[in-house]
Amino acid sequence: MSSTIIVLGILALILIFLVASYNRLIRLNVSVDEAFSQIEVQLKRRSDLIPNLVETVKGYAKHENSVFENVVAARAKATTATTVSDVAAADGALTQALRGLLAVTEAYPDLKASTNFLSLQEELSTTENKVSFARQFYNDNVRSLNQSVKTFPGNLFAGVAKVSARDFYVVDDPQDRKAPNVKF
Amino acid sequence: MPNFRQLQLANQRKTFGLLLGMAVLVFVVIYAALNYFGKTGIGLVPFAVGMALISVWGSYYASDTIVLTMTGAREIQSSDNPKLFDLIQEVCIASGLSMPKVAIVEDRAPNAFATGRNPAKAVIAFTTGILDVMDRDELQGVIAHELSHVKNRDTLVSAIAATTAGAIALLSDFIMRMMWFGGNRDREDNGNQNPLALVASLIVLILAPLAALLLRSAISRKREALADATAVAFTRNPAGLRRALEVLQQDSTVVNQRSTAVAHIWIESPLDQSSVSKLFATHPPLSERIATLRAMEANPNLN
Repeated sequence: MSSTIIVLGILALILIFLVASYNRLIRLNVSVDEAFSQIEVQLKRRSDLIPNLVETVKGYAKHENSVFENVVAARAKATTATTVSDVAAADGALTQALRGLLAVTEAYPDLKASTNFLSLQEELSTTENKVSFARQFYNDNVRSLNQSVKTFPGNLFAGVAKVSARDFYVVDDPQDRKAPNVKF
Repeated sequence: MPNFRQLQLANQRKTFGLLLGMAVLVFVVIYAALNYFGKTGIGLVPFAVGMALISVWGSYYASDTIVLTMTGAREIQSSDNPKLFDLIQEVCIASGLSMPKVAIVEDRAPNAFATGRNPAKAVIAFTTGILDVMDRDELQGVIAHELSHVKNRDTLVSAIAATTAGAIALLSDFIMRMMWFGGNRDREDNGNQNPLALVASLIVLILAPLAALLLRSAISRKREALADATAVAFTRNPAGLRRALEVLQQDSTVVNQRSTAVAHIWIESPLDQSSVSKLFATHPPLSERIATLRAMEANPNLN
């Protein structure tokens, strides 16, 4: 009698453990999706800032056409990307182009002193930080998911739950964390 | 060289060990009480735990409003300080937390704290002093430290520690009183007790509240160290928080209201460090925290 209870108890514990691991896997998978949409939200935000930024800089630096073209082209490309690797590549290109634009502004003291530009710069700086934190958060989530998919007990359910290891969000940019930084 | 992941794990384990230590202490106290008083002792246990629970649970449940009132913090909106809100949003994205309420304490001493019973009820507060003296990276480090407390549920952890320590103190107090006023009646039941065991029980009962307080302070220190490591996990920039702590170290002003009741929630202890023994301190010494962050800076593996 008592041995039946013990066996049933152990079976119940195993069942709880399995259900919990399955749910954990699903939860991790969902949080990767959420983290990716956060990247997209922040990229959209950055994209929305660009027309205003380009107009402001153009007002002072008319002859830097190639820089503006780079930014506009990179922005256009970024809006069409959908897969993780495409979005990451477009994001990297736009980050580079923006850096080129900001480097140009160094040569125009009047521009740098204008209030419009200063407020844009703060916005751009916080947006760059948000983009890079969103990438980092996504990669942290992918890291947990991949670990879980490849190790026990997650590996038991990966097939059933249709959850598999995901790609990291890799921006091909050694200076990634050194986004333009404004002190206040 | 440790990285933030190892430090997070180590501090989580240490808190767990300390909480386990508290649980053991509770059992030792109950055992000592039973040993000393026989059956009368056991009725006191649920009473002491209940009283401790009631007194701590209220302040845990309403921690956001209570602490704001006690510290004189005033909630602000994003239009009051857009840059601060931008910075907080950045760290929220890095941590995956939702935006907390933000409050300001009018005080020239640089300091900050976080409270609230869960991430949805979180509040982080800054003194006007800290907003004046710190640059973007430093402030980001401070915000990350405070949001780490939110993420690690430190209001809950400290409430658990406070309840346990409170129950132990109450229990020991009851028993000491009973010893003076009504002890003889019960001791007759245990007439055949080993006098040595009785003396040992008495010593346990006298020392238990002190031990509980030490454990509680140790837990608070581990949670601070954990919050520093988690902050680095959020920002990947140990230098920001390290420089912020150096600013706090050099600053000699102390937050005006020195209510010890809320001392543990600030990023830097608002109490005079020299007068508090290191064992009872709610925070690790700033120099130790700075050294740990420096070690993380030297570690190139920040991912």
